[in-house]
Amino acid sequence: MNRLLRLNYSLYIGALLVSILLFFAIFGPYMAPHTLIETMETHYKNGKILAPPVEPFKFKEYPLGTDRWGYDILSMILNGIRYTVFISLAVTIIKMAMGTLIGLYVGTWKKVPGWIEAFENAWSYVPLFIILYFFLRPININSFLTPMQLILYFIIVTSAISIPSIISSVRLKSAEINKSVYIEASKTLGAGRNRMVWFHIFPQMKESLLVMFILEIVYVITIMGQLALMNLFVGGTRQTFDPIIYNSITKELAGLVGQARGNVYGTFHVLLIPLAVLLFITISLSLLANGLKNRFQSNYQRTPWIKTGFEPKLMPKRKEFGQGKRVWRLTPERVSLGIIAVAFVAAGSYVYAEKDANVGVKNYSQAGYDIQLKMHHNGVFHAKANIKAKNLSGKNWNELVFYFIPNAFQKGHQYKSVKGFSNVKINSIKVEGEKAAFILNKDTLKVKLAGKMKKNESRTVAVDYTFTVPEEGNRFSKVEDRYYLAQWYPMLATFEKGKWNKKDYQDGLETFLTGFSDFKIKYDFPKGYSIASSADEDPALKKNKGEIKAENVREVFIAAFKDMKHYDTDSNGVKIRLFSEGDHNKDPKEALKLAKNALSFYQEKIGEYPHKQLDIVMDKGQNMEYPGVVTVDPYTENDRFFKIAIVHEIAHQYFYGVVINDQYNDAWLDEGITEFATNMYFHIGAKESIFQAQLFSQGRMKRAEELNLERQYSNLPVNEIKSTAFVYGQPALKLYEMVQDHFIIKGKDPETVSMQYLSDYYNHFKYKQVDTAQFLKFTTNYFYIPTGYFSDWLNVEKI
Amino acid sequence: MVRIIQQSVIIFTLILLLAALPNILGVNMETQKPEWHFERLPQIYTDFISNLSQGSLGTYQIGAESRQISDEIGDNFVISFLLIAVGVNIGIIFSLFFGVFVSRFRFTRVFNIMLNLLAAIPDFILIILSLILAVKIYKETGFRVVSLRPDAGPINLWFPMILVGIAPTLYLFKNIAVKYYQISGDDYIKTAVAKGMKLNYINFQHVFKNIEPFIVAELVKVISLAIGNLFIVEYLMNVSGITKFIFLSNAAQPLAVGLFSLLVISLLVYISARLLLYLFKRGFIYE
Repeated sequence: MNRLLRLNYSLYIGALLVSILLFFAIFGPYMAPHTLIETMETHYKNGKILAPPVEPFKFKEYPLGTDRWGYDILSMILNGIRYTVFISLAVTIIKMAMGTLIGLYVGTWKKVPGWIEAFENAWSYVPLFIILYFFLRPININSFLTPMQLILYFIIVTSAISIPSIISSVRLKSAEINKSVYIEASKTLGAGRNRMVWFHIFPQMKESLLVMFILEIVYVITIMGQLALMNLFVGGTRQTFDPIIYNSITKELAGLVGQARGNVYGTFHVLLIPLAVLLFITISLSLLANGLKNRFQSNYQRTPWIKTGFEPKLMPKRKEFGQGKRVWRLTPERVSLGIIAVAFVAAGSYVYAEKDANVGVKNYSQAGYDIQLKMHHNGVFHAKANIKAKNLSGKNWNELVFYFIPNAFQKGHQYKSVKGFSNVKINSIKVEGEKAAFILNKDTLKVKLAGKMKKNESRTVAVDYTFTVPEEGNRFSKVEDRYYLAQWYPMLATFEKGKWNKKDYQDGLETFLTGFSDFKIKYDFPKGYSIASSADEDPALKKNKGEIKAENVREVFIAAFKDMKHYDTDSNGVKIRLFSEGDHNKDPKEALKLAKNALSFYQEKIGEYPHKQLDIVMDKGQNMEYPGVVTVDPYTENDRFFKIAIVHEIAHQYFYGVVINDQYNDAWLDEGITEFATNMYFHIGAKESIFQAQLFSQGRMKRAEELNLERQYSNLPVNEIKSTAFVYGQPALKLYEMVQDHFIIKGKDPETVSMQYLSDYYNHFKYKQVDTAQFLKFTTNYFYIPTGYFSDWLNVEKI
Repeated sequence: MVRIIQQSVIIFTLILLLAALPNILGVNMETQKPEWHFERLPQIYTDFISNLSQGSLGTYQIGAESRQISDEIGDNFVISFLLIAVGVNIGIIFSLFFGVFVSRFRFTRVFNIMLNLLAAIPDFILIILSLILAVKIYKETGFRVVSLRPDAGPINLWFPMILVGIAPTLYLFKNIAVKYYQISGDDYIKTAVAKGMKLNYINFQHVFKNIEPFIVAELVKVISLAIGNLFIVEYLMNVSGITKFIFLSNAAQPLAVGLFSLLVISLLVYISARLLLYLFKRGFIYE
């Protein structure tokens, strides 16, 4: 019991709290649920109006509440804490290092010059924060200096003006030690000044210097707090004039307290929470200092002769000389330190790894495909697909849901764009080798599972089926003896928000969404056939049997043809192959040149192209994008449209192939952004005027107007959309308008900012699924605009 | 004597430099770097001295109106002086009493631990917390602890006095406690105990006499702490003290007058604290 009472609690608790503090200082911003520019907007929820300020612990989204402008307090704290900690550390390190160095030497002087003492006295009369106040007042508010510059000036000036007081206290201690007998002795033995300072005086002081160091950190925080009360925030003050509000730019904690000062009369939490965190910081540092002091004091202090009330309860831990050789012993202190270090690293890696986890919409189904595909001479395909499906959700599955699009084109289908029809027959479906029941309705294939499929469990579904390809179909199409196999295998649907996300096939825009998967396909086609596919390395031409692999793609497209003219080029290491029929009036070489220019433009301005190869197939049918392959129809009369189609489908490799979205509910996201990227290619890459570049999008809108269609939001589900103009043209035009309105925040001109925005968007959502809400979150933060800005073309209420 | 002249010169230059800072420092918009205009310094210095030599304290601006500093400085000076003098002297009495004379009793120990905890908290946090507390008290009970009207009379002063006093008290208490503990291990205490002297007697005759120089040495620092808090308290609580000249204007003249008045105030407070210690010695320690 006595042992427990005598534990140095303040040391242990202090060390723990300081580690937690450092943890948040390093990893805080990664954990922030919101960004610093995101505000909670007034909205209705369950018939109640919700408006900031929100009290803490009321809403999951705002754990610590918001201030009256709707900024999330927790996020501000998590972002600001590193400034508080690192700025105060930096100042303390500089001033302690300089102060100790000078103080130690001055302390060994025989006589201290009068002017030094006079200066010390004069200096200690002026409170340091007043000096800083006068220094910062002219440069800190709505400053032209960057926050980093202001922080740097603050660190330099604060350390400079606090050095004299450190020198003075170090000097006094050093002078006191200098009077000791053993100093006299070492002097007689011929020790020089350096040796005395570093071998005799400094070792005596290093422990009290450590304690002083920690206390000085608190002192710097105090100064920052005092300045903050005067609206001078470290890192800059942003002042608005109508109404007059002062805001901290860095959200440094003392600044947060300062900017929340007005909340002293109500909404206390806005002020109290940052204050509590600041209190936590200072108390943990003080506890650590106190713990260290207790430890050193118990080692060196003489026992008092009278009762003072200040006696420490700790047992001294004396150094045992002569036993120093026993290198490592397991002491409670070392064990606790080890535990803290391990926990720190583990939690840190976890936070770092998870930092992008909330970017994008989550898909909780995962699939891997292993397919054998055989084509007979009569055009009948026979496929054996082994699909390994994995449940990543917390829900138990009793069925697996697939898109099986070829089945939608059975004889008697209603789709106008599909001339012929397909014959599809499922021979058998087995789950883990056992025959399984299934329901096939249009393009929905539901496979019943024998037992429940729990989280992280996998099942292999083997589907054996035969099919033919409809003549001049839609994507999944046959033109003469050429086969275009798109969505030709059972594709596992996505499992989002607790349910299967499977919509019925529709004519026109895409209606399917699959996650990223790995594919292994063995194919066996009649002699004379070549293939071009989504695989990174396609087999040589005329190789009619073989295996292709594609990794981390959302689907695999295969084009099989006999004799098409083919042209090669490459762009920044990416091979471009163009296949063309000869009976149209478009020049394949011109088309290839355009494709190359467009791809290099996007490679340079947006980011790395996701595959090693890009195949372009020019044949009758739709202009369509697939991972690594695009098809373009050269039989169109409109030359301009043909060019746009090439660029458009290439842009889709980024905004479809890599950044994915629900084609059914958010079709505008890939189409609209791709059209925007296409217009930007013609404007920036091909140096056309913005009017010329956007003419096609304008035309779409005009045609919709001529049809007397009511204006529609772009983010409507496919079945509600009346004209594709609202999915393609409207977003493209509105996005450029937005950049024009707001480019000033990000750069010099709308052109650079447009491409930078597309590139940042691409990199942010790479291999993720984006929806309108995520798009808005990213874009409103990017250009500092409220969600309401988009309300004339996006239904922001729905989100 | 030389020391005093040296100090005065240094303080004089320092204060004028501080007062001139808003005028000589600015940000150059084109280079986006801070810019110093030291060439304006001599003008500022000569203006200030010539103003004084004419027997005037100069003017300060409120909006478009220009007012004589000398007309108003009297009241403000008294208020600020009262705040600091009361704060510092209470701090000394309090910390000596609890840090030395009654620190050994069990009931004061709890109190001492609390003081030690409070001492770990930066004073601006304490000031804000007590403000919140005052508002809360008023909301709950209707009792007005604090008034933010500058002309509210005594109620406007006692709360700021306490707030100004917090920092010096805690600082002194913390240091005196440490010093007391150190002194108690010294040999002359051992001798006194061996002679059979009573604890109170030792505290007055031996301990206090050795702590007094330490307090005197710390006085400058303590007063500077109090002045630091004076700025915050007057600013937050709308007390119309000497700092108003410093907050309201950018011109060197009122800034310098404000800072020099603070210098005078700290001198006066220093004297009052020394007087307090002297009286204490005359009253309790017979020589």
